[in-house]
Amino acid sequence: MKLLPTMGLIFVILLGGLFIYVAEDIPAFGDPYSPPNKYVNLSISIDAAELEDNLNQGVIPASLMDKIEERGLPLPSRIEKVEEGWDMIIEKGELHYHEEERYYFVTEEGDALWVYRYAPIVRYIEKGHEETEVPNMVTYILADYRGYDTLGETTVIFTAGVAVILLLRRREKRPE
Amino acid sequence: MNPENSEIGKGRAGGGDVIVETVSRLMVPFIQLFALYVIIHGAGGPGGGFQGGVIFAASFVLLVIAFGIVDAGDRFPEAANIAFISLGVYIFAGVGLLCIILSLGAAQYLNYGFIPLTTHFEENRALGIDLVEVGIGITVMAVITSIFFNLAWKRESEEGGREE
Repeated sequence: MKLLPTMGLIFVILLGGLFIYVAEDIPAFGDPYSPPNKYVNLSISIDAAELEDNLNQGVIPASLMDKIEERGLPLPSRIEKVEEGWDMIIEKGELHYHEEERYYFVTEEGDALWVYRYAPIVRYIEKGHEETEVPNMVTYILADYRGYDTLGETTVIFTAGVAVILLLRRREKRPE
Repeated sequence: MNPENSEIGKGRAGGGDVIVETVSRLMVPFIQLFALYVIIHGAGGPGGGFQGGVIFAASFVLLVIAFGIVDAGDRFPEAANIAFISLGVYIFAGVGLLCIILSLGAAQYLNYGFIPLTTHFEENRALGIDLVEVGIGITVMAVITSIFFNLAWKRESEEGGREE
């Protein structure tokens, strides 16, 4: 009977050490280059010929607007230069956003301008199946993209079990 | 259930009824099989570790209701329960740590693709999700069972003290 409690204690101690190690590895919150937060390629491209100056001055080319409208996506209202590309921002009140939203990301690859899209949830929906080979969207978001979250949830349940054992455990084996 | 029966059957909180015992003894394996199905099916449809673990714990609750806390408690010792509680979280965290170890520090924690179970990166992620679900299921099952058993023991011992 001494074996199982000892094993339980060893497991708990190892788990504590593991969590301390894990805390060092969590990516910074909101880091746009962490794997789940990359952009999604919208497959919209136009020729980049001499358009860079226009983009830098905040003028969105009409051909780009036409292509975005063809796809039924919300139209951007202005464009800003950021490093490695340009951000296109949609207006306040468009879709469900309460403020102006950084929505598209335009970058130059080869001699074409490619439009990407921010928002990690789009990546989960569009790319999740091919990236994880799991057909259930809830499962792959819960266990893969949001793995830290689920680990925390499991730890909460673990803590609840430990608390109940500490408070309610009765030492005597049988009432008789 | 029946107070007269519980006085006759010594140490049995509720039970002593042949029909209840037989039917629950018949039902428990199927409930547990269904729980395992829900856990494994979590990747392909509705289900997952949390739901499957609770269903698995429900089978032990049924055992306690049918056979009484003493007999059912013997089948599932508390020390093993405590080990299972931490084992589940340990599997989850350990799978995450395996990703770092097996990729020699290149991958992030919980990036299942780097566990070399198959040759495909995406298949590895699917299998990693399955392993993690098993861990969640074990923890949830053990915690729910532990909470129920502890509450039932407490009530049993209080009632026993009153009779004496």
